[in-house]
Amino acid sequence: MALLLPFTYGMDPTVAVVLLAATYVGAEYGGSIPAILIRTPGTNAAAATVLDGYAMKQQGRAGEALGISLYSGFVGGIVGLVVLVLLTEPLSRVALAFTPPAYFALGVLGLSVIGSVSGGSLVKGLIAALLGLMIATIGTDPVTGTSRFTFGSPELLSGIPPILVMVGLFAIGELLAQTGEPGWEKASADSARIRFPGPAMWKRIARPQAIGSVMGTIEGVMPGGGGTISAFLAYNEARRWSSHPEEFGKGSPEGIAAPEAANNTVACTALIPMLSLGIPSSNSSAVLLGGFLIHGLVPGPMLFVRNPEVVTGLYWGLLVANIAMLILGYLIMTPCLWLVNRPKPYLMGFIYAFVVSGVYSIEGSLFHVGVALGFGALGYVMRYLKIPFLPMVLGVVLGFLVESNYRRALVLSSGDHSTFLRDPLAAGLLLVAVTFIVVTVVRHLRAGREATA
Amino acid sequence: MIRSRHAVLLFALAATACGGGGETRTVTRVVTHSSPGGGSDVFLREMIPHLSRVMSGTVIVDNIQGGSGAKAIATVAAAAPDGRTLYATTPTYIYTSLLSRPEARYTDLEPLVNLFFDPEVLYTAADSRFRSLRDVLDHARTGPGRWGAANPASLERQVMEQIKQKAGVNAAITTFEGGGDMLLNVLNHTLDMGVGELQEIRGQLDAGRIRLLAVVGQARLPQFPDVATAREQGIDLAVRKFRGLAGPKGMPAEVIAAWEAAVPKLLEDPAYRKLYMDNSLQPGYMTHAEYVAFMQKFGADTQAFLQDAGVIE
Repeated sequence: MALLLPFTYGMDPTVAVVLLAATYVGAEYGGSIPAILIRTPGTNAAAATVLDGYAMKQQGRAGEALGISLYSGFVGGIVGLVVLVLLTEPLSRVALAFTPPAYFALGVLGLSVIGSVSGGSLVKGLIAALLGLMIATIGTDPVTGTSRFTFGSPELLSGIPPILVMVGLFAIGELLAQTGEPGWEKASADSARIRFPGPAMWKRIARPQAIGSVMGTIEGVMPGGGGTISAFLAYNEARRWSSHPEEFGKGSPEGIAAPEAANNTVACTALIPMLSLGIPSSNSSAVLLGGFLIHGLVPGPMLFVRNPEVVTGLYWGLLVANIAMLILGYLIMTPCLWLVNRPKPYLMGFIYAFVVSGVYSIEGSLFHVGVALGFGALGYVMRYLKIPFLPMVLGVVLGFLVESNYRRALVLSSGDHSTFLRDPLAAGLLLVAVTFIVVTVVRHLRAGREATA
Repeated sequence: MIRSRHAVLLFALAATACGGGGETRTVTRVVTHSSPGGGSDVFLREMIPHLSRVMSGTVIVDNIQGGSGAKAIATVAAAAPDGRTLYATTPTYIYTSLLSRPEARYTDLEPLVNLFFDPEVLYTAADSRFRSLRDVLDHARTGPGRWGAANPASLERQVMEQIKQKAGVNAAITTFEGGGDMLLNVLNHTLDMGVGELQEIRGQLDAGRIRLLAVVGQARLPQFPDVATAREQGIDLAVRKFRGLAGPKGMPAEVIAAWEAAVPKLLEDPAYRKLYMDNSLQPGYMTHAEYVAFMQKFGADTQAFLQDAGVIE
């Protein structure tokens, strides 16, 4: 997206904004294709899709998985757009309800789903999550501004970007593991085509989509929340409310539908704080904000009054982008499926090149490439120790949010911990998180007892 | 930043092509640590078309991100001092130099000229009970005050710490990741007041959602003649958040002279004047000699502050 920004300098503001918005929608969805096909989330928010998406791919159901993700992404995108058009004003007030204690509670709630994404072992999940939280402490201290664990390297001042951790663990780790194994069977012709879900599947994934869209709406309007928390919470809730919870993690269509609907809803609703408050809630909406500023458009309540044509243009642009995403997604996925069914040496070589150049292009930094390769080695080890990756990703993504808001809240309350209970929103979110944790622990203890009995 | 390099390359090619007629135009590369669309990036790109009217040659922007500016500083410090590679200065380059002690620091660059100051203002929510800086300080005298600054190691935090110290009040100073985050906490009354650049809060200010309490600068702002300075309200503090240019050490005198001639003309250009006034920038031209002295003092003051705050040793 940032690639495109310089090209809009000479454009008419409305055209530029529409172009950027369309790219933004496409990029937010596009992250899911590699998540399903090569187990590499292209964006932070697509991490939850890896779980069931890649499981389906391994079962030779990649076409079906892509169809479900595309369809759910479209549904989520349209729901998000409707919310954006109709509810921007009231929802921008929701954003204001979030104080530092509430953000802390939100982060804790996000972390509380660790049990659901740990696979078999809760202990290993916790180990991974702790590692993730430790990685999140690298960088600049959020309160004092001191450098932590940077060892004098300016490259580490702003911390380790979660995307590097994900690419390393998932993609490079997978490549290393695959390289040591014999070539795979050719996929059957059936899985080499994208398959849209039929009416029976529509019915089955309607509930996870609804859950995802609701989560996405709530999360999107909170600056800093972003798609990742909503995708994981949607996944967790979809599993709780599913009639087939046992399939989750083993290739459940619902496990794709919920996070996909959630992160595509967020793509639209994240624009609510951006437009009404001028506060971007994700990296990509920050680029969009830059695009507005370059054209002299100042987001804020007055944007709707002064430049209504830009806002309307943006809405239409998003609608067209969502429809185009459905069509283009359909068209490019068959070649994508063809690509991943090539002989293994070619494919592996291609993915290595793809991943390394992708990492390099984020900031043009070889240091980043080194970090990603390092995490690849860690991912290889974790794979053999059967330590799940997703809790670690959650730790890395949420660690800073949790820590900085915890400390901020305590600075504001002069060290009084009751501030977390006096804020009704924070108290409510913490209560939900505690319930999640208790339920997960009880479930694990019971499963353990049954296994030994 | 492979993409912006490409863009830059394109611009450079276009520039050479347009030069045409056998005439060779000098291409000056201004390096910024800001991402495309970020504060300094937008500022530079808006300035260049106007600059080209008062100066010969082509100026392009090169975004070199990473390491909070450390990479950009290193790139410029290592470039040939022929005036073709410059760095767009903001206080960030001083803070990064002091905080992370990279190999190339602000002292390895030579300040060229200053162009602008970003006015720093203190503000609160429009529906808060605080009407002036005095109200906020009085509140912090009787009970705990809650103040916010955008980043932990920044000029803004320094402003808040100094106000607290000078007024001798009890205030908790919280920092955020960027101005937007903090603005939210001012709007929802978590904070009594926040500090930031006028430009960051324009959207909310225009909509009447926030109220300015004071200008932390030498004088009142022409756009807001009613807002008193901090000094007028009893706090002897004025900061200057600079935007200017620096280059590798040992630039030739004619390069310095060319910029010293061009910048005052640029600042008087009526079309550009309208643009920068709309963007709430204060013209703050400084000659090379003045800028070098200014930067030395700024660096020393910042170092003292960071040491007092226990951020660095």
